[in-house]
Amino acid sequence: MTAPLLEVRELVTEFAGAGRRLRALHEVSFGVEAGSILGIVGESGSGKSLTARSIMRMVPEPGAITGGQVIFAGRDLTQLSEDEMRTIRGREIAMVFQDPQAALNPVKTVGWQIEEALVVHGVSARKARERTLELLRQVGIPDPEARVDEFPHQFSGGMRQRVVIAIAIANAAPLIVADEPTTALDVTIQAQVLRLLVDLRERLGATIILITHDMGVVAELCNDLVVMYGGRVVERGRTADIFAAPQHPYTRALLRSMPKIDGDVRERLSAVPGATPDLSRLPPGCAFHPRCSLAEAVCRSEVPPLAVVPQRPQNRSACHVALREGRLPAEPRHDDAQPAGRRPALEQPILELHDVRVNFGSRRMLFRRTAPLLAVDGVSLSVRPGETLGLVGESGCGKTTLSRAIVGLNLPSEGRIILKGEDVTSFDETASARVRKTVQYVFQDPYASLNPRLTIRQILSEALEMRGVARAEREVEARKLLGLVGLDPDYLGRYPRAFSGGQRQRIGIARALAVEPQVLICDEPVSALDVSIQAQVINVLADLRDRLGLAVLFIAHDLAVVRHLSDRVAVMYLGRIVEEGPAAEIYARPLHPYTAVLMSSTPRPVPDPQAMARKVILRGDVPSPRNPPSGCRFRTRCPIGPLADPSRRICIEQDPALAGAGAHRSACHFPEDAARAASSDKTLAAAEGTSTA
Amino acid sequence: MLGFLARRLPSVALMLLVTSIVAFLLPRLGGGDPALVVAGSDATAEQVEAVRVSMGLDRPLVVQYVDWLSGVLTGDLGTSLISNRPIAQLILSRLGSTLELAISATILMVMFGFALGILAGSTRRGVGRAVLDAVLGALVATPPHVTGLILILALGIAWRLLPISGEVSILVDPATALSYLVLPAFALALPQAGTIARLIQARMYQVQQEEFVDLARAKGVPPRRIAISHVLRNSMGTAIVATGIRVGELLAGAVVMEAIFGRNGLGLMAVDAVSSRDYEVVQVLVLGAVVIAVVVHLFSEMLLAALDPRIRLDLS
Amino acid sequence: MSAGGTSTARPVRRVVYGERLRRYLGAFATPRFHAGGGLLLVLTMAALAAPLIFPGGVDQQSRDSFLPPSPGHPFGTDELGRDIFVRCVYALRISISLVVVAVPLAMVVGTLMGLAGAVSSRLGDAFQRLFDIILGFPSIVLGICIVIIMGPGWASLAVTIVIFSLPQFGRLARAQLLSEMGREYVLAARVLGVGKGRIMLRHILPNTLEPLFVQMSLSMIAGIFLEAALSIVGLGIQPPTPSLGTLLNVGIRYVYAQPMYTGGPVIMLLLLAVAFNLIADALNAAVLKTRSEA
Repeated sequence: MTAPLLEVRELVTEFAGAGRRLRALHEVSFGVEAGSILGIVGESGSGKSLTARSIMRMVPEPGAITGGQVIFAGRDLTQLSEDEMRTIRGREIAMVFQDPQAALNPVKTVGWQIEEALVVHGVSARKARERTLELLRQVGIPDPEARVDEFPHQFSGGMRQRVVIAIAIANAAPLIVADEPTTALDVTIQAQVLRLLVDLRERLGATIILITHDMGVVAELCNDLVVMYGGRVVERGRTADIFAAPQHPYTRALLRSMPKIDGDVRERLSAVPGATPDLSRLPPGCAFHPRCSLAEAVCRSEVPPLAVVPQRPQNRSACHVALREGRLPAEPRHDDAQPAGRRPALEQPILELHDVRVNFGSRRMLFRRTAPLLAVDGVSLSVRPGETLGLVGESGCGKTTLSRAIVGLNLPSEGRIILKGEDVTSFDETASARVRKTVQYVFQDPYASLNPRLTIRQILSEALEMRGVARAEREVEARKLLGLVGLDPDYLGRYPRAFSGGQRQRIGIARALAVEPQVLICDEPVSALDVSIQAQVINVLADLRDRLGLAVLFIAHDLAVVRHLSDRVAVMYLGRIVEEGPAAEIYARPLHPYTAVLMSSTPRPVPDPQAMARKVILRGDVPSPRNPPSGCRFRTRCPIGPLADPSRRICIEQDPALAGAGAHRSACHFPEDAARAASSDKTLAAAEGTSTA
Repeated sequence: MLGFLARRLPSVALMLLVTSIVAFLLPRLGGGDPALVVAGSDATAEQVEAVRVSMGLDRPLVVQYVDWLSGVLTGDLGTSLISNRPIAQLILSRLGSTLELAISATILMVMFGFALGILAGSTRRGVGRAVLDAVLGALVATPPHVTGLILILALGIAWRLLPISGEVSILVDPATALSYLVLPAFALALPQAGTIARLIQARMYQVQQEEFVDLARAKGVPPRRIAISHVLRNSMGTAIVATGIRVGELLAGAVVMEAIFGRNGLGLMAVDAVSSRDYEVVQVLVLGAVVIAVVVHLFSEMLLAALDPRIRLDLS
Repeated sequence: MSAGGTSTARPVRRVVYGERLRRYLGAFATPRFHAGGGLLLVLTMAALAAPLIFPGGVDQQSRDSFLPPSPGHPFGTDELGRDIFVRCVYALRISISLVVVAVPLAMVVGTLMGLAGAVSSRLGDAFQRLFDIILGFPSIVLGICIVIIMGPGWASLAVTIVIFSLPQFGRLARAQLLSEMGREYVLAARVLGVGKGRIMLRHILPNTLEPLFVQMSLSMIAGIFLEAALSIVGLGIQPPTPSLGTLLNVGIRYVYAQPMYTGGPVIMLLLLAVAFNLIADALNAAVLKTRSEA
């Protein structure tokens, strides 16, 4: 084992509040070996980002490092003057930020911003320009000479993140701290950026600290792992060792609560109870004890030290039980209600969409009409009672627009929406009333979907009133509803702010169920939640669906979550359905290259050093729906289309129809090749957009 | 830039059209028959009618409006019915005084607004922030006329440092002219400067929270350069638009300033004209004030567009 | 923070309202609000009770003109020997009556115009155009136009203040409407089938009101200052009726002989400004607090 490039020892960071100090990082210690990728993983409020900022000495005010050391190349960074620290930032340690939309100065050219990173460290202006062009080429920006003088808003999200990475590697810093570098990006773009990071590390020999909430990203990229919870390191070790046998209950719970893209679908997720703690109100003792099934008296009073686990000497864990027993004992498995047997959905569809189009673009301007912008362009779907249809796609593909059209929040410009055999497309008085009684909607953002001024009682009563429940009975019904989603009925008098994200989302579900709908539309209901909370909501949804026989349209970008809940899956790209069929079949053998690539891009929580190398990386970005490509809409990025094989002119000339034998249909001219898109190394090379230079 | 102009033009045109109609209608709405005024109080009904015809007042309103507007556009502002002199001539005789006040106040407004704003935006805590917040709060809360009266009481009466009433043309005796200008110009400028400074301060606080400022720090950029190239550069648009909006109110404030400080400018002329029912003069001054305010506002928006590539590039 | 759900099986609705009311008042009950509200209360009471406190009326005369301030005449006497303090207190009646009538009127009408976009987007757009045009007129220029049409006096000042304040409320209400309409809880209510009027009353308006009250406080002091400005130049209240503006109109002519003739009304204006600004600040802080709690 080589000497660590960076060593963090007993780091303490505190915020000065009104009259008291709030400790946000508690004696954080870890080291990073030169040339490796260290993952720091944790949920919101775990202190992972603050750790990154503490290393950079960029703790937001009124916070400050109040203890410990950060040893980098033999020097303690916490002891340096601000001027000395400045010569280190950007030159010795560089940083990549989360949101590429916000990380670039909107009024300066991209080139200027890269040059600045060089100029402030003493590079001459002329040399900086040359180096900037070279850097842009290195991070895979096509035609750098033309694009160097463009502004950030002229770049797509993925391209902007490449620019941010170019800034980070400008001075060939030996250490790069990447703070959730792909969280704001779609999964195919995430794969592009992660691949770029890995490539650059191999070429430049940099060391990377990768901060993330995604165990899948960690498994595929990181050699070593630090797990944080409540401002402390709770577990540390080699990634492979930790994934093989986690030695802290939190790590284990985190891994178990993730839905698996290739796991057993019907298995109930093991949800972690409770919510991630607020740093200002940490529980005493081990911060995880209120959510831990192994918790003992000592856990409630004493903070466990981070120490080597006797029987697992590769892992360090901060768990009283694991340290005493020599290893983390198996969880007392409380086999709670196995999911009820599901009826096969053979009935007539309750909801049918025929060739629905939603036009967003056509606005009357002063002199002309703008071109139509079809966010949804000819979609046909159906959902049967008791069945869950998963709708998958990246941001901007039209999935939310489509789902809102079903409940009349957006009016379809063409096509028909049929509910229980009756056409409701007009959304006139009677049709709207019918829709409301039958279809309800669960929104994405648990913080925006509840009116902060109303109590839970008022929120649920309003919904019950809509069903026509008499005033006197609403109280009883509201309590019943809260019980249904697993919340204490005595919470009725509280305001939404008293609840965590997962609880709020369950209240949102209760509100939707108040009108006793038969169809539930869930629009990314868990994407705003922490992983350990997601499982609570997913389980509630699955239970209710089975108990009430609901038809569910489940919209998400996360393939694993969709896989876990859905009977059938539809994949959407640029306003169209490109593939549709039974979930098991689609995941086993995709018939559209886009589906195959989505699956390949999704990180899996299984440590695998070759995972990144095997991924198919899509070229470029999603085209604008205002001006979609001719023929097949996916052809501009397709790894098996005309880009890889110029003889396939048909993809440019003909729009493929959604077709296929039986229930599994895809809109691809070469469906038999689709599966190959994700596995063949030959197509991989052709589709690889970044490996030049 | 052309695209930007084309987009803004309809609303500016509408604004100017409505203003010109309001200005044109003012004498009619004010009551009183212009023909009667010209003909004199002892004229017979026939004489009044003859005057009415000779003035073209018997024609349809639309025709009169087009006639008046084309006159204004070609520099013929009409004649004052009271003093019987061309309005253009009347305005020119008073223009110098108002120009001196407006220009000096604008310069002070921009200087103090930007300086205080940038200072306040870079002072985030401690006594400095408290003092600056208090100063800005006081400036914003006190309108020009009250500021003017306070300045008169303090510097004109209590200490007798500066003259408080009257004026001398800057072309005749610059030093004395300035001493007469100081109080009204400051009184006019300070409240608007406070408003501008507040907006700059808020915008700077906001920009300082942006992730690109963090990224600049992570690059190793020195604080001074961050403040100028990143924070200030991104706050300038707000500052410029804020200034553009305030110019109209500054002109309006000049009316009261002239009354308080005994300056014989266009504002006082407008007030006197209202009192003496010389509405033909008022209508030209009203039109002029609004046109200047609208044009300056448009100009500031164009400057903003030039500064912000997101607007500049998307609309051209 | 709520004390938690009521533990009885059948909680009373009143509990909720009581808690809400307490929350509202609690947010406002800051030292600033008390100071501003108290000051405003004192000034208003003095104005209302002026005929009782100073039964001699506005023209209560002393034998001497231009007496310096003394305990008997806090602001001294004017050119006719009238007590300036008494005239200032009577003048408050004009200032306060103007804004108490005009600003709430502008608030109601402006807010309705701003929210009209929810009913008809065409109507909403038309009102916004109208607001743009009004905002193009600097305040005094607007006042001059109204005076020409209506003649000087209380009524034309009130109309000026209404028109001047209209766009402030209208634009604010419009901005709030647009941001609230897109919120997911409003969409959720629409999906449930809650009627337009009810969504407006229950979900949108309550979240809109607080900023409107902040604006009301600011518009009131702006209206008071506008009266002063127009009256100073002689286009507002006409002498001999005392208003803060007419007092200044005359007072500035005698500023050497009797500085308090100018200083007195200025002090009154500043007291009003302090009161309204403190109230606006306190309300604003309350808004920010509820926002961050949401």
